[in-house]
Amino acid sequence: MTAVRRWNLTSTIVLAVLTAHVLMVIFPFFWMIYSTFKTNREFMRSVWSLPKSFSLDAYVGAWSGGALGGYAVNSLLIMAGATLITVVLATLAGFALAAYRPRWIPAVELSMTAAMAIPAYVALVPLVVMLRGAGLLDTHLGVILPTAAFNVPVSIFIMQAFFNTLPRDLFDAARMDGASEWKIFLRVALPIARPAMFTVAIVNMIWVWNDFLFPVVFINSPSRKTLPVGLTDFVGEHITNYPVMLAAILIAAIAPLVLFVFFERQITAALIGGAVKG
Amino acid sequence: MSADTSFAKRSNRAAILFLSPALLFVFAFVAYPVAYAGWLSLFRWDGASMPVFLGAGNFVRLAGDAIFWQALFRNILVALSAIVLQVFLALAIAYCLVRIVPAFSRIFLFFYLVPVMVSEICIGLLWRFMYNPYFGLVNAGLSAIGLGGLKRGWLGESETAFTAVVVVMSFTYLGLYVLLFVAAVRNVPESVYEAAEIDGAGDFRKFFSITVPMVWDAVRANSLLAIIGSLKTFSLVFVLTNGGPNHASEVVSTYLYKMGFGSFEMGYAAAIGFAQMVLTALGAWIAFRYMKRIGAGAGAWS
Repeated sequence: MTAVRRWNLTSTIVLAVLTAHVLMVIFPFFWMIYSTFKTNREFMRSVWSLPKSFSLDAYVGAWSGGALGGYAVNSLLIMAGATLITVVLATLAGFALAAYRPRWIPAVELSMTAAMAIPAYVALVPLVVMLRGAGLLDTHLGVILPTAAFNVPVSIFIMQAFFNTLPRDLFDAARMDGASEWKIFLRVALPIARPAMFTVAIVNMIWVWNDFLFPVVFINSPSRKTLPVGLTDFVGEHITNYPVMLAAILIAAIAPLVLFVFFERQITAALIGGAVKG
Repeated sequence: MSADTSFAKRSNRAAILFLSPALLFVFAFVAYPVAYAGWLSLFRWDGASMPVFLGAGNFVRLAGDAIFWQALFRNILVALSAIVLQVFLALAIAYCLVRIVPAFSRIFLFFYLVPVMVSEICIGLLWRFMYNPYFGLVNAGLSAIGLGGLKRGWLGESETAFTAVVVVMSFTYLGLYVLLFVAAVRNVPESVYEAAEIDGAGDFRKFFSITVPMVWDAVRANSLLAIIGSLKTFSLVFVLTNGGPNHASEVVSTYLYKMGFGSFEMGYAAAIGFAQMVLTALGAWIAFRYMKRIGAGAGAWS
């Protein structure tokens, strides 16, 4: 624990410098939020000033003027599918890495670490060929499967870190009672793992929601595009109305931000857990 | 048969069962496509007609492709800038948050993490406004402090486009490293600082002679994370400049994307990705050995 420190000149200077710095980092977001309440004319008159009026026209324009709602539904479906697959596979594998230590386990850990370092674009062309062959190009499932696969390794390590914190006696006691390994997983490990699974789910939801490379390459039909991809189209079409454009950007950014506000603790724990292993 | 070997057998079987779904899945959609990229890189192929076998042809072309080498060099610059502007800056910020203004650490951490949560597409679009040549905030700020002569179209000019992208990256990912270092700096025992304070050490001394060596493992791990992230970078560059103007901010990922899905040179695109992966693996191996030597010399390698 950090002892209470006397407030002195250094503290004041540090606080001032950090405040200035953090304002620079998040100013674009503040500016985005308050600019959406302007009318286009007010925006054009003074781009950076605070709004004098309070107009919700930009949101109406963004929602009705484009296909944002449809994009959001697509993002939601892909997010749900990929997150579900990743959480199930990572829970099973993370449990195995923590509970059993046959000699070949370090090799598995090493290959998962290597998989984490591989840039997704290396697999881009082959994935297109594979998905086309399977008839999955331009479908949600075609985005879900590779997206989930690329998120599985780091998610395994987050789950393993959690299962490592559990005492071994817990499983040994169940073994003494004659439970099978599958029963031990299902009846002992899984119920306690729920918070960790939830944590992995939250960070995966954010990653999948924000993902761009796979959806932009694998999906062509406008009706199946995800929000970040659709947003780039939307912005191209609404180049003349800035508040509407900013409202659309805000709509795409809001879901992860809401998750972050509500689940800050779980998200930061997952990021720390995943990075320590990587 | 003793209980020990029967448990070993049982746990071996259970481990295989629990791990195989994830391993098969990762094999099918990560490992296999990467190997397949190596195979496709031997062909000239537009994605539709019959592939033409070239052998090493794509790699010969790649070896002489200045745009590829410049793009790869830019990826390395991104990594170096990330280590300085993200990892080391974050360590200094984390020290300040934990040791100097702990009462505000939570709120600062929250705001530093906001860009980490938001889609890079949104961030890139917002920064296009900041850099706008006509009404952008960067130019307005320069005029305000009397440097109006420096005003320019930051993302649209070859001299500044890449630097402008790197600045956005450093703002965007910084928060992740602040978070990781705050966790690491908090783990340094208070007693170590107390001993230094008795010796009259100020914050600078404490930072450099206590915090930095005590969290060195985290510095190494986070630098590795930053390097990996820098080699993967795509979305921010794509939305800010798309590698332009005239390849001035091209990185490997944007070049691969253009080759594969703009010019439909699928074989060449596969070769770009495959070569990048092999070259970085090679670089990582050399760097690892080199670091091990330095580390062994300094006694810092664990």
